[in-house]
Amino acid sequence: MTNATKLLLAAACVLFLLVGVPALIAATGRNDLYYTLTSVALLSIISGGVWLTFYIGRINIGQGAFALLGGYVSAVLVTAYGISFWLTLPVAGLVCALASVLIGLPILRLRGVYFAMVTLTLTEVMRLLALAVPITNGAKGIVSIPLPGGVSLFGLTLIPDFATLENPRLAFYLASVVLMVLCFGALYRLVHSRIGHICLSLQQNEELASSIGVNIASIRVLAYAISSFLGGLGGAMFAAISQSIYPSSFTVADSVNFMLNCFLGGLHYVLGPILGTFALYFGWDLLFQTGVYQLLIFSSALIVLMLVLPNGLLSLRLPRKKGA
Amino acid sequence: MEQVIANGLYLGAQYALIALGLTLIFALMNVLNFAHGQMYVLGGFVTYTIYGQLGLPFVLALACSALTLAIVGALVEKFLFRPVIKRSAREESTMLLAAAIAFLMDAIILILFGEKQRGVPKIINGVFVSDSLVMPYDRILVGVIAIAMIASFMAYMQYSRTGRAMRALAQDRVAAQLMGVNVDRYSMIGFALGALLAGVVGGLLVTITGVNSGIGGPISIKAFLMVMIGGAGVVGGAIAGGFILGMMESVGLNVLREFGDVTYLVIFVLLMVFLSLRPNGLMGKPWG
Amino acid sequence: MDYILEVSNLTKRYGGLIANSGISFGVKEHEILSVIGPNGAGKSTLFKQIASFVTPTEGEVRFRGERISGLSPHKVARLGVVRTFQETTIFKTMSVRDNIIIAHQLRARTGLAGFFFGTRTAREDEAAFARSADEIIDFLGLGHQRHEIASNLPHGHLRALGIAIGLATNPAVLLLDEPFAGMNHDETRRAVEIVRAVRARGVTILLVEHDMPAVMNISDRIVVLNFGQKIAEGTPKEIQENQNVIDAYLGVEDESIGM
Repeated sequence: MTNATKLLLAAACVLFLLVGVPALIAATGRNDLYYTLTSVALLSIISGGVWLTFYIGRINIGQGAFALLGGYVSAVLVTAYGISFWLTLPVAGLVCALASVLIGLPILRLRGVYFAMVTLTLTEVMRLLALAVPITNGAKGIVSIPLPGGVSLFGLTLIPDFATLENPRLAFYLASVVLMVLCFGALYRLVHSRIGHICLSLQQNEELASSIGVNIASIRVLAYAISSFLGGLGGAMFAAISQSIYPSSFTVADSVNFMLNCFLGGLHYVLGPILGTFALYFGWDLLFQTGVYQLLIFSSALIVLMLVLPNGLLSLRLPRKKGA
Repeated sequence: MEQVIANGLYLGAQYALIALGLTLIFALMNVLNFAHGQMYVLGGFVTYTIYGQLGLPFVLALACSALTLAIVGALVEKFLFRPVIKRSAREESTMLLAAAIAFLMDAIILILFGEKQRGVPKIINGVFVSDSLVMPYDRILVGVIAIAMIASFMAYMQYSRTGRAMRALAQDRVAAQLMGVNVDRYSMIGFALGALLAGVVGGLLVTITGVNSGIGGPISIKAFLMVMIGGAGVVGGAIAGGFILGMMESVGLNVLREFGDVTYLVIFVLLMVFLSLRPNGLMGKPWG
Repeated sequence: MDYILEVSNLTKRYGGLIANSGISFGVKEHEILSVIGPNGAGKSTLFKQIASFVTPTEGEVRFRGERISGLSPHKVARLGVVRTFQETTIFKTMSVRDNIIIAHQLRARTGLAGFFFGTRTAREDEAAFARSADEIIDFLGLGHQRHEIASNLPHGHLRALGIAIGLATNPAVLLLDEPFAGMNHDETRRAVEIVRAVRARGVTILLVEHDMPAVMNISDRIVVLNFGQKIAEGTPKEIQENQNVIDAYLGVEDESIGM
């Protein structure tokens, strides 16, 4: 595929998501699907971050920590300081990125299972922090967060006040899809530029990478910061949609799920996390009617999938040869 | 003071036993067994059913916990991990498989035993009281059994044929294979043994703290902590990690009692600082 | 005498074990200097210390008079001292060409942001790297494997790829880690030619090697280690006649000397 056809295809997909899906939902009256699809979009963003850490060769099971942190940063800023949600969104991402730099500097020196274990405990640390710190209101969480307000520039309304909308679900869906497209667009560009190649070189051999002059420590921290930024962004948006955040909003199980999303979609493809999240989330949702057996069937399906396709869904596609 | 140390030792012995199982599986197969906590929970429920519900002797119940988990461990290794390890391209695959197994076990335990907190009658009554120490006899007994288990596990690894084969396997898989060690067989035995240890601790602790279906995950996290402190894949490290965590918890709960969960927060932060200084834990081998 | 690379009193202890003890020598610009020694003589420890992958316990390594010991490996590479690895250390899933292109990182004139946004300089850099990679590929005779995934390469070509990755960084000094290990006679001959050709590009070469005939053939000067200490230094002819060296090799492994 040439770049032009790729771009055209991507544009068609975005158009379908922004116009086609709402039209279909309006036609079928399945308004509940908005929440599901919005969740998929946001969880993909969060998982996209995990994917990037996979790409530098680190198994990240701590993304829930940053999603939680992002959610709280936004929620606190909106409720306690009355700052516009749209401003808190990037702030949440940046706070997470900053936190991940501080945490990442020591722990990114760890590899393999060690790194995985430390990140796993990170989610737990964040939950305990949320319980302990006064500003987060402990186990009761922060509730009744107001809906995002409007944004206008020179009297021109860019984003309407969500509280005045007759269908805020649609608005959240559109906002989340736009956010997802932006994030994955940036991620795609990143991975397909020289930076992506450098990340890949880290994944394959850090010693060799440093011998050709790559500052592996700073690249690792950079990738981890971007990853956490995405986690914070997704978490903040989630808090806005559910208008609440609790210490248990993102748990260790969620962190594991983010990793599963990436893996299921395939670790070689930037868009893998979207596919993986979609498959897992819908699979989980479809099993809702089975009640107590939901987790049983879901986990059995996962195990079977691992047995049949130990290298992920997209491993069905043969690895293409790279080169000019 | 004595009280804190006694509590720490009692907790540490249980923890060390859990960590030993986890580190054994890691050493043999390079698998991080996410389902370790769930195995502990299952062990607890088996003892709960046989000792608490059916009223059979505790020793029998504990043996059943051990046996059940050994069988579960062997089956999980043979039919799940072995094929995936053979065919997967990256080490992440086994981690995801382990996560899926943890979910599956959570689901099965929930369906079989419900979500209520379950307890059993005390195995022995009475409390040991001295000037500086108050310790119920059942805790003392459980602590002693755990320490005896640790000692026999170490002796088994050191002196038995199977133990030696497993140590060879842990040190260098390829070399062990060349030397004629049946890798598949000992991987399976090792996994079964690791699961067995988790089940035994579950069976022991159900008599004191009870058990509920939701604690599998948190137990796994604690086990990871201990392994990280001591160094992954090293028997001595697991034991050290278990006792250190037990002591830290005991001291922390004593000093920081009014702050609730802050104890764990402090432990986690200390761990991060520690790992940034010693990335491989106390006794772990360096990577690469 | 001015040396481009100077090793002085280099000592490395691991606990009670002494891997290197008071090693000193210098490398002249544009020469090929080999470090040899029996197994366990401390060659690879020395090698890692020169490339700054390991920090010496005592002593230092200076490049153009500047201390490089203790700097991180990527900084040392930036200064112009670049190491290669033994054969399995390549970017396995990338093509041969991509392996070499990525290794041009040091020559980038723009930061990561520049590459993200695809600025003019970044695009020029990319084009220049690709041209240079193709030139290196032809220079080392890897033309047929240009688009092959690196992990599929045969043995001898892997070694050449390792050198190609090193060359792409445009080093002043290239450190080669056992470039002839495990090669048959023909392969060794070709590899020796490659190393000579690399030197002809103006690169100073320090290599650590086991294969005595190849070393005797290629080196301007040789440093011999035994039990972590330097026991001899000189031209191949001087080394061949040095009684210490003969004893060291005869005492440890008879046939490896190959003379």
